Amino acid sequence: MTGLPRALDGVKVLDLTWFGAGPIATRALANMGADVIRVETAKRPDGLRVVPPRPEGNASLNVGGYYNNFNAEKRSVAIDLTTERGQELGLDLVRWADIFATNMTARAVRQIGMTWDVVHEANPGIVGMYQPMQGMTGPHSEFMGFGAILSAVCGVNYLSGFDANPPVGVGTNYPDYVVNPMHAVTAILAALRHRRRTGDGQLIDMSQLESSVAAFAGPVFAWDNAGIVHERAGNRVPFAAPHGAFRCAEVPARPDRWLVLACLDDEQWGRCAQVCEHPEWADDARFGTLADRKANEDALEALVASWVAKQQGPEALAALQAAGVPAALVQNASEVLADEHLRERGYFVTLEHAEAGARVYDGPGFRLSGTPVELRRPAPLLGQHTWEIATDVLGLDGDEVGQLIADRVLY
Amino acid sequence: MPGPLSDLRVVEVCGPVGHYAGRLLADLGADLIKVEPTEGDPARRYPPFLPGVEQPENALTFLLLNANKRGIVLDLASPDGLEAFLRLVASADVLLDSWQPHDLAALGLSEDRVRAARPDLVRASVTGWGLSGPRADWAYADIVAQAMSGVMNLAGFPDGPPEQVAEQQAHRSASINAAAGIVAAILHRDATGEGQRVEVSAQEALSMAQETAMMFADINGIDRQRTGNAGTGPVRIPGVGLYEANDGWVYLMAAGTAGSGFEGVVATMEALGFDSGLREEPWATFIRESMNRAMILQAMADPLRADDLARKLDHVDGVLTEFIRGQSKRDLYEVGQGLRVLIGMVSAPEDISTSTQLNARDWFVEIDDPGRGVRLRYPGPPWRLEATPATLRRPAPLLGQHTAEVLGELEMSEAGR
Repeated sequence: MTGLPRALDGVKVLDLTWFGAGPIATRALANMGADVIRVETAKRPDGLRVVPPRPEGNASLNVGGYYNNFNAEKRSVAIDLTTERGQELGLDLVRWADIFATNMTARAVRQIGMTWDVVHEANPGIVGMYQPMQGMTGPHSEFMGFGAILSAVCGVNYLSGFDANPPVGVGTNYPDYVVNPMHAVTAILAALRHRRRTGDGQLIDMSQLESSVAAFAGPVFAWDNAGIVHERAGNRVPFAAPHGAFRCAEVPARPDRWLVLACLDDEQWGRCAQVCEHPEWADDARFGTLADRKANEDALEALVASWVAKQQGPEALAALQAAGVPAALVQNASEVLADEHLRERGYFVTLEHAEAGARVYDGPGFRLSGTPVELRRPAPLLGQHTWEIATDVLGLDGDEVGQLIADRVLY
Repeated sequence: MPGPLSDLRVVEVCGPVGHYAGRLLADLGADLIKVEPTEGDPARRYPPFLPGVEQPENALTFLLLNANKRGIVLDLASPDGLEAFLRLVASADVLLDSWQPHDLAALGLSEDRVRAARPDLVRASVTGWGLSGPRADWAYADIVAQAMSGVMNLAGFPDGPPEQVAEQQAHRSASINAAAGIVAAILHRDATGEGQRVEVSAQEALSMAQETAMMFADINGIDRQRTGNAGTGPVRIPGVGLYEANDGWVYLMAAGTAGSGFEGVVATMEALGFDSGLREEPWATFIRESMNRAMILQAMADPLRADDLARKLDHVDGVLTEFIRGQSKRDLYEVGQGLRVLIGMVSAPEDISTSTQLNARDWFVEIDDPGRGVRLRYPGPPWRLEATPATLRRPAPLLGQHTAEVLGELEMSEAGR
């Protein structure tokens, strides 16, 4: 941690996001120095506060790794926005903020009284980022779902995986974690620039469907303009071969070890064949050009697989990389955590949290040399900053805060 | 209407890892100048191809990711080419490159030399591994970063290989992060006049997409594995996961408290005229009281209840499977969502092309590509900024299409200085 000035110092964000796509976006703003205030309630907490992973037997809303990783460095104020007084306080925060962000459904946004017309009227200069699953207009604007539903609708399931298997998706709520939050950050920063230059806020209608399809757009572009029907090809791609994951020799210490390699051109394929101690593969007429290798890909992969099957992994990887062939081992999460390259670069960060203890957080997805992006505090406890925000930001005195807590408006 | 970046010039000299970053900045209005080697960007040779158009102008993914850019050819290995490049950088606000340390050394492009050309430059580097660390010079391809980031380990079936996420998601994740970082650096430059370096590693950019895997490893010492369609529970729960319709597939998450839960699934059966029998006892009570994923997992742990519960779940799942098999994916999706069921249809590209919602919002944009003699339909931008909307102003450049134009502009502006 540097303590240096950051790119968004002084920027104020009212964060009414939850689950994945919204909180990761606002976390990126916080890690650039923005003051991000998350409004939460214990009555209806963020779903990620209640699910695993969490320390065994600990039911606290404050110890879940899923929530904590996505909310580092934010402040949390617990306000029940469904009460009349809570709504007023929420609008005071709207007036305080430069940026408003939510990824709730349109229905939930109505329930907490934070529709764009209300927010914009309270603060005409605000940047409002609304991120419902399918956008704010159109016949499906009320449709709802988590990332796994969106993965199906936006094409992730259809496009990923092997043709022999059903399109189950990629094992996660994929678009929630990078594609949708980081598209949102780009849009928010662009709108902030417009605001600084003109004084004007604006609405960002951030359809998670549009954002996700944009990141998987190749096959729909190919269908629309060339009538190309996409075939689910597992780990293959049209422009490289061999390209895939191959099983290494079984060793007790690390069963299920897979090596990935990709030959993007004939030269890489030639070097790959040499590393495999079969330079004659490169001279085989079936594999001379990319078109040849694609036409004989089953045979090509069988040869590569036969070599990888005799390798333990790390040595084969080192030999391929030394020859300039893109290659890697498929790492599981604990191997990613122990990855010496990431360690030397200081990617993961360990932060001490009052209830969860010393826990690992993902670092930022991009780095800025002059105005560092960094995690200076862990995730907030639910309502951890209620008192300071009520007094310092909302301007309430101690008696008022006490009464609002007694009235279950604040927690 | 001018975009929020329409006063900025970005010079892009990137492999495929950075193409989408440049496209995003161009969509926001930036004057994006793409520098290619004499033989063209390697991605110009990547299938699939547009019929009726010749190489190197027919690579569809290249056309998609490089729309809105002007293109010039420079041989950076020649002194003249490098000199022209530095003059171009001097005219730019942002340099977006994907050079690894060994590339920079080979080009003779030290940080100082670039900085001297343009002291307040925002210099963005988007590579597989970042510019430091023991793997900084490793060979990179999209699937390789997907493997090292942990994301691939989660995708696939337990008895099969790990699977890549389609459509070059290491490249995309790196590019989206780069675009965000560049706009942040521009905000700082606007305020202070200072440039800086933006650095993105594809492996790091994708790490967050491990979902909970990193935290399970850190907190519980458990490594999540790929599970195919089984989900994470010990038992198949009706209304969770993939089901086969009569023309494709649908994905449900309808056994919880979100939306209308499994009651909504039963309502969907009624709305589509299917006689499920699930409104009758004992099923009505079972669904009302027990069809909740959390409660099912809890009850399954009780040996006295597990057998009876498993039989009931099996019946309900059989009814649901039969119902879905008789319907179209689109009817299930639209009627189910109308009843607040968490259901999605598994969309193929042709479904996305004809999507009710995307087309109602006029998301796709068609523009002429006179250089190739075609008119192409493009997927739209990832966001809608109401006051400063994204614009699609030109198709991807022909190889070297704007070399004379851009170098001529440089001479004009240098002469006028």
